Amino acid sequence: MRAIPAVALLLASLACHAETPQQIRQIYVAEATSQQAGFTPSAKRGDAFFRQRFAINDKMPACISCHTDSPLNAGEHAVTGKSIKPLAVAANPNRLSDPAKVEKWFGRNCKEVVGRACTPAEKADFVTFLSEVR
Amino acid sequence: MQKILVWDWPVRLGHWLMVGGFILAWLTSESESLRLVHVLSGGTVVAVALFRLPWGFIGSRYARFVDFVRGPGSVVDYLRSLIRLDPDHHTGHNPAGGWAIVLLLGLGIATGLVGWAMYNELGGDWLEELHEGLAATMLTVVFIHVAGVISGSLLHGENLVRAMITGHKQGSPEKAIPSARPLAAIFLLVWVGAASWWLAS
Repeated sequence: MRAIPAVALLLASLACHAETPQQIRQIYVAEATSQQAGFTPSAKRGDAFFRQRFAINDKMPACISCHTDSPLNAGEHAVTGKSIKPLAVAANPNRLSDPAKVEKWFGRNCKEVVGRACTPAEKADFVTFLSEVR
Repeated sequence: MQKILVWDWPVRLGHWLMVGGFILAWLTSESESLRLVHVLSGGTVVAVALFRLPWGFIGSRYARFVDFVRGPGSVVDYLRSLIRLDPDHHTGHNPAGGWAIVLLLGLGIATGLVGWAMYNELGGDWLEELHEGLAATMLTVVFIHVAGVISGSLLHGENLVRAMITGHKQGSPEKAIPSARPLAAIFLLVWVGAASWWLAS
């Protein structure tokens, strides 16, 4: 059963057209539901996660260290100072259109900022927040 | 046959700077807090490789491309001699090593310049895919190169890793290079510092 979300991600990324934020959310919701019956994604929890100070990494203690306190704004890399495009779909329509890219950045940033892999529920909440925030 | 000077200072220093730069860049490839280390170490690889191109024409005897870039026939002959467990001895680079150098220089420059373009957002996501593909190809060539060095060292009874540190290999005295070219090595250090700094800024 655990392989199903991975297969879904693979199939989604094999498809040549871009995915919608809703489809990407659905992949994580399905994965979270398989671990926790009755799971419903919440933009509010995603927002709280975005602001949470994990303090694992001195230079990047939280998402907001680079992405500013609103995902609608362009961010600034805490180490290099390079500009980062907004995370919110409302401000940057290219966000949440490639499941492999979304999974890659969850993999890298969760490890470095949160200090562990993010759970499917956290990912579902976060994706929901980014696609709904205005 | 005795110990003679074969590798000049820029060749040796450049080699180990490239080794260090490649390892560091690989280890920091997925980290955002170490992003500057990644860019500086990748910049070091590019800077060394760019220095090595003219040095392949004006460097000492065994540093020159004409000394070690051979056609596919010579490479096949050398690889056959390796398989026979009786490799032909070359005072400079053997033909297989020569191609490893050409490939690693080309891949080092290509990977680094694509990385630089990514860092400055000069293209889309395809740059990221290309950068990773080139780096993985380079790692493959590195493994083949290291395997060749180890097997060549064992079969010749000559430690090629130590030779790349001391510059000395077995050979007849008239085949030695006259100078280790230390001034060019100092220029290489200054160039690598300046160029990698510029690439990272």
